[in-house]
Amino acid sequence: MTVTRERFEQGMTYDEYKAQMTRNKERFIENEHQLELDPQDLAVFQHLPRPLDVLVLAEDWCGDVIANLPILGRLTAESGTLHLRIFLRDQNPDLMDQYLNHGQFRSIPVFVFFDEQFHELGRFIERPASVTERNAQQRRKLYEEHPEFGTPDTPIAQLPEEVRGQLMEAMAAFREESRSANNRDVVDALCEIVKAVSA
Amino acid sequence: MTKRLVKVAITYCSECGYEAQTLGLAEALMKEFRHELSEIELIPWYDGSFDVTVDSELVHSMYREGGFPDHSMVFEAVRRHQTAPLPEKSSSNVAQER
Repeated sequence: MTVTRERFEQGMTYDEYKAQMTRNKERFIENEHQLELDPQDLAVFQHLPRPLDVLVLAEDWCGDVIANLPILGRLTAESGTLHLRIFLRDQNPDLMDQYLNHGQFRSIPVFVFFDEQFHELGRFIERPASVTERNAQQRRKLYEEHPEFGTPDTPIAQLPEEVRGQLMEAMAAFREESRSANNRDVVDALCEIVKAVSA
Repeated sequence: MTKRLVKVAITYCSECGYEAQTLGLAEALMKEFRHELSEIELIPWYDGSFDVTVDSELVHSMYREGGFPDHSMVFEAVRRHQTAPLPEKSSSNVAQER
Protein backbone atom coordinates (compact mmCIF):
# COMPACT_ATOMS: atom_id res chain seq x y z
CA MET A 1 0.00 0.00 0.00
CA THR A 2 1.20 3.48 -0.75
CA VAL A 3 0.25 6.89 0.50
CA THR A 4 -1.84 8.92 -1.93
CA ARG A 5 -2.20 12.67 -2.12
CA GLU A 6 -5.82 12.31 -1.05
CA ARG A 7 -4.90 10.30 2.06
CA PHE A 8 -2.01 12.61 2.87
CA GLU A 9 -4.20 15.70 2.79
CA GLN A 10 -6.52 14.15 5.39
CA GLY A 11 -3.87 14.80 8.03
CA MET A 12 -3.70 17.76 10.37
CA THR A 13 -1.57 20.81 9.82
CA TYR A 14 1.09 21.51 12.42
CA ASP A 15 -1.08 24.18 14.06
CA GLU A 16 -4.11 21.88 14.06
CA TYR A 17 -2.03 19.19 15.73
CA LYS A 18 -0.89 21.58 18.45
CA ALA A 19 -4.45 22.80 19.01
CA GLN A 20 -5.75 19.28 19.66
CA MET A 21 -3.00 18.30 22.13
CA THR A 22 -4.38 17.41 25.54
CA ARG A 23 -1.10 16.72 27.35
CA ASN A 24 2.52 17.91 27.34
CA LYS A 25 1.63 20.94 25.20
CA GLU A 26 3.64 23.27 27.44
CA ARG A 27 6.81 21.20 27.03
CA PHE A 28 6.19 20.86 23.29
CA ILE A 29 5.96 24.63 22.84
CA GLU A 30 8.93 25.22 25.13
CA ASN A 31 11.03 22.87 22.99
CA GLU A 32 9.87 24.68 19.88
CA HIS A 33 10.88 28.08 21.28
CA GLN A 34 14.18 26.99 22.81
CA LEU A 35 15.51 25.32 19.67
CA GLU A 36 18.44 27.22 18.17
CA LEU A 37 18.59 26.56 14.44
CA ASP A 38 21.91 27.01 12.68
CA PRO A 39 21.41 29.22 9.59
CA GLN A 40 23.47 26.74 7.56
CA ASP A 41 21.10 23.93 8.44
CA LEU A 42 18.10 26.08 7.65
CA ALA A 43 19.66 26.95 4.30
CA VAL A 44 19.69 23.26 3.37
CA PHE A 45 15.89 23.29 3.58
CA GLN A 46 15.40 26.79 2.15
CA HIS A 47 17.35 25.87 -0.98
CA LEU A 48 15.52 22.68 -1.78
CA PRO A 49 14.87 22.52 -5.54
CA ARG A 50 11.19 21.84 -4.88
CA PRO A 51 8.86 21.65 -1.87
CA LEU A 52 8.51 18.31 -0.14
CA ASP A 53 5.49 16.65 1.44
CA VAL A 54 6.18 15.24 4.89
CA LEU A 55 3.85 12.73 6.50
CA VAL A 56 4.09 12.70 10.29
CA LEU A 57 2.80 10.12 12.78
CA ALA A 58 2.63 11.35 16.35
CA GLU A 59 0.83 11.28 19.70
CA ASP A 60 0.99 13.87 22.46
CA TRP A 61 1.94 11.32 25.14
CA CYS A 62 5.23 10.35 23.51
CA GLY A 63 8.46 11.91 24.80
CA ASP A 64 10.26 11.55 21.47
CA VAL A 65 7.40 13.37 19.73
CA ILE A 66 7.56 16.16 22.34
CA ALA A 67 11.31 16.44 21.71
CA ASN A 68 11.53 16.01 17.94
CA LEU A 69 8.35 17.18 16.24
CA PRO A 70 8.94 20.82 17.30
CA ILE A 71 12.25 20.67 15.41
CA LEU A 72 10.48 19.67 12.21
CA GLY A 73 7.84 22.30 12.96
CA ARG A 74 10.44 25.06 13.19
CA LEU A 75 12.23 23.88 10.03
CA THR A 76 8.89 23.89 8.20
CA ALA A 77 7.89 27.33 9.41
CA GLU A 78 11.25 28.91 8.69
CA SER A 79 12.13 27.22 5.41
CA GLY A 80 8.78 27.44 3.63
CA THR A 81 9.66 24.32 1.64
CA LEU A 82 8.02 21.57 3.67
CA HIS A 83 4.35 20.66 3.57
CA LEU A 84 3.44 18.75 6.73
CA ARG A 85 0.42 16.59 7.41
CA ILE A 86 0.17 14.97 10.83
CA PHE A 87 -1.73 11.81 11.78
CA LEU A 88 -2.35 10.33 15.19
CA ARG A 89 -0.64 6.96 15.46
CA ASP A 90 -3.42 5.18 17.31
CA GLN A 91 -6.18 6.30 14.94
CA ASN A 92 -4.34 5.57 11.70
CA PRO A 93 -3.01 2.01 11.73
CA ASP A 94 -3.13 1.86 7.92
CA LEU A 95 -0.38 4.47 7.84
CA MET A 96 1.45 3.44 11.01
CA ASP A 97 1.89 -0.14 9.91
CA GLN A 98 3.69 0.99 6.76
CA TYR A 99 6.43 2.63 8.80
CA LEU A 100 7.25 0.24 11.63
CA ASN A 101 10.56 0.65 13.43
CA HIS A 102 12.76 -2.32 12.44
CA GLY A 103 9.63 -3.72 10.79
CA GLN A 104 8.13 -4.46 14.21
CA PHE A 105 7.48 -1.50 16.46
CA ARG A 106 4.99 1.33 16.22
CA SER A 107 7.61 3.86 17.28
CA ILE A 108 6.91 7.55 16.89
CA PRO A 109 7.48 10.17 15.73
CA VAL A 110 7.68 9.10 12.11
CA PHE A 111 8.57 11.70 9.48
CA VAL A 112 8.30 10.42 5.89
CA PHE A 113 9.54 12.70 3.11
CA PHE A 114 7.86 12.42 -0.31
CA ASP A 115 8.39 13.96 -3.72
CA GLU A 116 5.49 15.33 -5.75
CA GLN A 117 4.63 11.85 -7.12
CA PHE A 118 4.56 10.53 -3.56
CA HIS A 119 7.69 8.50 -3.97
CA GLU A 120 9.36 8.15 -0.60
CA LEU A 121 12.65 10.02 -0.32
CA GLY A 122 13.56 9.11 3.22
CA ARG A 123 12.22 8.61 6.71
CA PHE A 124 13.05 9.49 10.30
CA ILE A 125 11.74 7.21 13.04
CA GLU A 126 11.71 7.93 16.78
CA ARG A 127 15.21 9.39 17.33
CA PRO A 128 18.75 9.02 15.98
CA ALA A 129 20.79 6.11 17.33
CA SER A 130 23.32 8.63 18.63
CA VAL A 131 20.66 10.11 20.91
CA THR A 132 19.76 6.70 22.29
CA GLU A 133 23.44 6.03 22.98
CA ARG A 134 24.00 9.44 24.61
CA ASN A 135 21.00 8.92 26.88
CA ALA A 136 22.21 5.46 27.85
CA GLN A 137 25.71 6.76 28.62
CA GLN A 138 24.37 9.55 30.77
CA ARG A 139 22.12 7.14 32.58
CA ARG A 140 25.07 4.85 33.34
CA LYS A 141 27.14 7.81 34.55
CA LEU A 142 24.31 9.02 36.78
CA TYR A 143 24.02 5.67 38.52
CA GLU A 144 27.81 5.40 38.90
CA GLU A 145 27.95 8.80 40.57
CA HIS A 146 24.95 8.14 42.82
CA PRO A 147 25.11 4.69 44.40
CA GLU A 148 22.07 5.63 46.47
CA PHE A 149 20.00 5.28 43.27
CA GLY A 150 20.90 1.60 43.09
CA THR A 151 21.45 0.33 39.56
CA PRO A 152 19.54 1.20 36.36
CA ASP A 153 17.63 -2.05 36.93
CA THR A 154 16.52 -1.18 40.46
CA PRO A 155 12.73 -0.84 40.50
CA ILE A 156 11.70 2.69 41.43
CA ALA A 157 9.31 1.19 43.96
CA GLN A 158 12.29 -0.11 45.97
CA LEU A 159 13.79 3.33 46.46
CA PRO A 160 12.84 5.44 49.47
CA GLU A 161 10.59 8.33 48.51
CA GLU A 162 13.30 10.89 49.22
CA VAL A 163 15.71 9.11 46.86
CA ARG A 164 13.01 8.81 44.19
CA GLY A 165 12.65 12.58 44.26
CA GLN A 166 16.42 13.04 43.95
CA LEU A 167 16.57 10.59 41.05
CA MET A 168 13.71 12.32 39.25
CA GLU A 169 15.47 15.67 39.61
CA ALA A 170 18.77 14.24 38.41
CA MET A 171 17.16 12.64 35.36
CA ALA A 172 15.31 15.84 34.51
CA ALA A 173 18.62 17.71 34.76
CA PHE A 174 20.43 15.37 32.41
CA ARG A 175 17.54 15.50 29.97
CA GLU A 176 17.97 19.27 30.00
CA GLU A 177 21.75 19.06 29.65
CA SER A 178 21.57 16.76 26.65
CA ARG A 179 18.77 18.61 24.88
CA SER A 180 21.03 20.80 22.75
CA ALA A 181 23.23 17.92 21.56
CA ASN A 182 20.18 15.73 20.91
CA ASN A 183 18.51 18.49 18.90
CA ARG A 184 21.72 18.85 16.89
CA ASP A 185 21.64 15.14 16.01
CA VAL A 186 17.98 15.31 14.95
CA VAL A 187 18.63 18.32 12.70
CA ASP A 188 21.62 16.48 11.20
CA ALA A 189 19.48 13.42 10.48
CA LEU A 190 16.79 15.52 8.76
CA CYS A 191 19.43 17.43 6.77
CA GLU A 192 20.87 14.13 5.54
CA ILE A 193 17.48 13.10 4.20
CA VAL A 194 16.83 16.31 2.28
CA LYS A 195 20.43 16.68 1.07
CA ALA A 196 19.87 13.49 -0.89
CA VAL A 197 17.01 15.28 -2.66
CA SER A 198 19.20 18.24 -3.53
CA ALA A 199 22.04 16.07 -4.84
CA MET B 1 -2.20 -22.35 55.75
CA THR B 2 -1.22 -18.74 56.25
CA LYS B 3 -0.87 -16.22 53.51
CA ARG B 4 1.43 -13.28 53.72
CA LEU B 5 0.13 -9.83 52.92
CA VAL B 6 2.12 -8.64 49.95
CA LYS B 7 2.62 -5.20 48.53
CA VAL B 8 2.18 -4.39 44.84
CA ALA B 9 3.70 -1.24 43.37
CA ILE B 10 2.90 0.08 39.91
CA THR B 11 5.34 2.64 38.50
CA TYR B 12 3.82 4.34 35.47
CA CYS B 13 4.85 7.06 33.06
CA SER B 14 2.61 9.99 33.89
CA GLU B 15 3.60 11.78 30.67
CA CYS B 16 2.52 8.86 28.53
CA GLY B 17 -1.14 8.55 29.43
CA TYR B 18 -0.81 5.22 31.22
CA GLU B 19 -3.33 6.17 33.91
CA ALA B 20 -6.02 3.91 32.47
CA GLN B 21 -3.75 0.82 32.47
CA THR B 22 -2.52 1.68 35.98
CA LEU B 23 -5.98 2.08 37.42
CA GLY B 24 -7.20 -0.97 35.51
CA LEU B 25 -4.53 -3.17 37.08
CA ALA B 26 -5.07 -1.65 40.55
CA GLU B 27 -8.81 -2.30 40.32
CA ALA B 28 -8.26 -5.86 39.11
CA LEU B 29 -5.93 -6.51 42.06
CA MET B 30 -8.45 -5.04 44.52
CA LYS B 31 -11.21 -7.27 43.19
CA GLU B 32 -9.07 -10.38 42.99
CA PHE B 33 -7.35 -10.13 46.38
CA ARG B 34 -9.56 -7.72 48.40
CA HIS B 35 -8.02 -7.52 51.92
CA GLU B 36 -5.19 -9.95 51.09
CA LEU B 37 -2.81 -7.21 49.95
CA SER B 38 -0.93 -4.99 52.39
CA GLU B 39 -0.78 -2.11 49.96
CA ILE B 40 -1.13 -1.08 46.32
CA GLU B 41 1.26 1.78 45.61
CA LEU B 42 0.93 3.91 42.47
CA ILE B 43 4.11 5.79 41.58
CA PRO B 44 3.87 8.48 38.90
CA TRP B 45 7.12 8.45 36.94
CA TYR B 46 8.13 9.21 33.39
CA ASP B 47 10.49 7.92 30.73
CA GLY B 48 7.92 5.57 29.23
CA SER B 49 7.91 3.28 32.24
CA PHE B 50 5.31 0.76 33.33
CA ASP B 51 6.80 -1.46 36.02
CA VAL B 52 5.08 -3.76 38.48
CA THR B 53 6.78 -5.04 41.61
CA VAL B 54 5.35 -7.58 44.01
CA ASP B 55 7.14 -7.13 47.32
CA SER B 56 10.68 -6.62 46.06
CA GLU B 57 10.39 -8.64 42.85
CA LEU B 58 10.10 -6.77 39.58
CA VAL B 59 7.53 -8.95 37.83
CA HIS B 60 6.98 -6.73 34.80
CA SER B 61 8.97 -3.96 33.18
CA MET B 62 7.94 -2.20 30.01
CA TYR B 63 11.65 -1.78 29.18
CA ARG B 64 12.36 -5.44 29.77
CA GLU B 65 9.27 -7.21 28.43
CA GLY B 66 7.63 -4.43 26.42
CA GLY B 67 3.98 -3.48 26.64
CA PHE B 68 1.66 -3.90 29.59
CA PRO B 69 1.44 -7.01 31.74
CA ASP B 70 -1.37 -9.52 31.60
CA HIS B 71 -3.32 -9.19 34.83
CA SER B 72 -3.23 -12.96 35.25
CA MET B 73 0.57 -12.91 35.31
CA VAL B 74 0.54 -10.32 38.11
CA PHE B 75 -2.07 -12.34 40.02
CA GLU B 76 0.17 -15.41 39.81
CA ALA B 77 3.13 -13.42 41.14
CA VAL B 78 1.04 -12.19 44.07
CA ARG B 79 -0.09 -15.73 44.89
CA ARG B 80 3.50 -16.95 44.75
CA HIS B 81 4.59 -14.27 47.20
CA GLN B 82 1.64 -14.90 49.49
CA THR B 83 2.82 -18.42 50.12
CA ALA B 84 6.57 -17.81 49.95
CA PRO B 85 8.63 -18.27 53.13
CA LEU B 86 8.11 -15.39 55.49
CA PRO B 87 10.95 -12.83 55.69
CA GLU B 88 11.83 -12.28 59.36
CA LYS B 89 11.28 -8.54 59.37
CA SER B 90 7.81 -8.94 57.85
CA SER B 91 6.49 -11.33 60.45
CA SER B 92 3.58 -9.02 61.27
CA ASN B 93 2.30 -9.19 57.70
CA VAL B 94 0.31 -12.36 58.11
CA ALA B 95 -3.34 -12.91 57.34
CA GLN B 96 -5.31 -16.03 58.04
CA GLU B 97 -6.64 -17.70 54.93
CA ARG B 98 -10.41 -17.52 54.83
